[in-house]
Amino acid sequence: MRSVFVIARKDLRQRLRDCSAIVLGLVAPLTIAALMSFAFKGTESFHFTLGVVDSDHGPVASALIHALESPASRQIVTVKMYLSESAARAAVRNSKASSALVIPAGFSTSVTTNRPESLTTVTNVNNLIATNVTQSIATSYIAQLNADRLSVFTALGPSPTQGEINRLAADAATLRIPIQAVEKPVGAHQLTAISYFAPAMAIFFLLFIINFTARSFFVDRAEGMIERMRAAPVRPLEILAGKALSVFVYGLFSLATVAVITSAVFGAHWGNSLAVSLLLLAMVISVVCMTALVIGVSRTQRQAEGFVSILTFGLALLGGNFIFISSAPPLMRHLALFTPNGWALRGITSLATIGGGPGSVVTPILAMLAFSVVIGGVAASLANRAVSS
Amino acid sequence: MVCGLLEPDCGVVTIAGRRAEQELAVRNLVGYVPQDVALYPDLTARENLSFLGSLYQLRSKELAARVAEVLELTDLTERANDRVDSFSGGMKRCLNIGAGLLHHPKLLVLDEPTVGVDPQSRHAILERVQAFGREGMAVLYTTHYMEEAERVCDRVGIVDHGRLIAESTRKELVERLEERDRIELGASGDLERLARACREIPGVENAATTDTSVQVVASDSRRMLPLLLEAAENAGVTVNTVDVVEPDLEAVFLHLTGTALRD
Repeated sequence: MRSVFVIARKDLRQRLRDCSAIVLGLVAPLTIAALMSFAFKGTESFHFTLGVVDSDHGPVASALIHALESPASRQIVTVKMYLSESAARAAVRNSKASSALVIPAGFSTSVTTNRPESLTTVTNVNNLIATNVTQSIATSYIAQLNADRLSVFTALGPSPTQGEINRLAADAATLRIPIQAVEKPVGAHQLTAISYFAPAMAIFFLLFIINFTARSFFVDRAEGMIERMRAAPVRPLEILAGKALSVFVYGLFSLATVAVITSAVFGAHWGNSLAVSLLLLAMVISVVCMTALVIGVSRTQRQAEGFVSILTFGLALLGGNFIFISSAPPLMRHLALFTPNGWALRGITSLATIGGGPGSVVTPILAMLAFSVVIGGVAASLANRAVSS
Repeated sequence: MVCGLLEPDCGVVTIAGRRAEQELAVRNLVGYVPQDVALYPDLTARENLSFLGSLYQLRSKELAARVAEVLELTDLTERANDRVDSFSGGMKRCLNIGAGLLHHPKLLVLDEPTVGVDPQSRHAILERVQAFGREGMAVLYTTHYMEEAERVCDRVGIVDHGRLIAESTRKELVERLEERDRIELGASGDLERLARACREIPGVENAATTDTSVQVVASDSRRMLPLLLEAAENAGVTVNTVDVVEPDLEAVFLHLTGTALRD
């Protein structure tokens, strides 16, 4: 058993002496997490400036502007009035407004006649979300007006007086935009980009340890060090366990350091410390077992590198290390549940948004441990062959 | 098999009365020195020795003392804290052997320790191996160089195609040749053709080629020489040198296996 610690200590010493281990374990996850956080900054909350041109000055136009300036809409839109369509277009072009809505002259009157007027939207291709929201506002408001018109004519019959029409039109004008975008977090906290990508990148780069360790094993074997260890009173399983222990310690150190630094420096919210620690522990155990499996099934270093490349990028893609898995298609979300990193991210995301303690991450932890038991069992059965061949 | 690296097809390996394949602890009695240098190039000499010593259950003070002892023995004390990849080939070889001695084994297994070594280092290694023997350590020395086996071994085993075909003292093995001599024809041309022609001469027991010569085992070498030269002429091979060598291990090997040892 002591040999396990001796081999692990030696491996860690070599790893720390190798700068690439520090780069992969610390520098890379911190840098990529910061970059991705920067790239995705703003996608977790949305606000835009809408230029409005009121050429109508009628009650319906006023009602629309009033609705856009209401407290509910103010969370996502700031209304800026322009005198002409050309001024609004210039503002959108110069990014002073994200998009614009032009209410044409006679728009209110057209509501009570059979000459419907159109709302014009001015959008910018570089701001797709603002474009979509503006078009939705225009479409839904027109739909509401059409519904109102239909109601008016249904209520008043085919020949209403102008007074009746005006009264009903005024009532209709007080109606609100039927669909409103309200910013609301899923749980108690908003999931910021850094809170997602910090663990995602830490786990992604953790997967690179598999390659590191498998390569070190095959180099050891090629250089006769495994043979030398086997000539000593050391069991094959102990050699593999020593390698695995070094992965465990290095992986845990890497994840913990990234968690502390991203929390302290970048403001990432990881959630309850104990629960996060347990999740990361389970993730590292999974990586240890996958490392042992790669060593067990590979016959050569090149073969191991091939397996690891497929495994690393396959798991990262399926598990959601590159994208917000919660916004991925349902199939992707289901596939993520077949990966330990998918479960780890699910658990951490849940802790970061909904909150909770260790009890709330029992399912992800059990899923990762079950994965480890299966993979580790296969790896253990191959240990003798791997070390002896 | 002695070191536990290979499973025996049959039979058992007993070291100091203990079955090697049944007891892991028996490996504490064996020091293994692989043919190629097996050390971590990115670790220092001291770190390499400490790691390997720890695998043999050596701890703290005892480990430090043994490491210092081996560094002294290999003349590497001053380079103890230098990385192995900064060492010369000879220094690496010495450290490689030293690593097998850390735990004071009863049996030292040396697998062709002088392959690729310069003459000076080779001499130093052979001296050291002889010293181990004088100190009472059993040394199992594998080599392709018969002169090394003649110099350092009390008993010699000849292995051909994985089978032990003879095992005895040097004297007893050579006596098996009776009156036979080894004749070495240094030649250029189709040496395989010459070897075939030699084998057809009555009295020639075996003939085999090396890169630059044909080795012949025959009785009555004086009578045989003209016949061999005639065969060379007929085969179109130019003979440059002729050596008649007194019976030695190389002749024994050729006699037993029909194969000449190549450098």
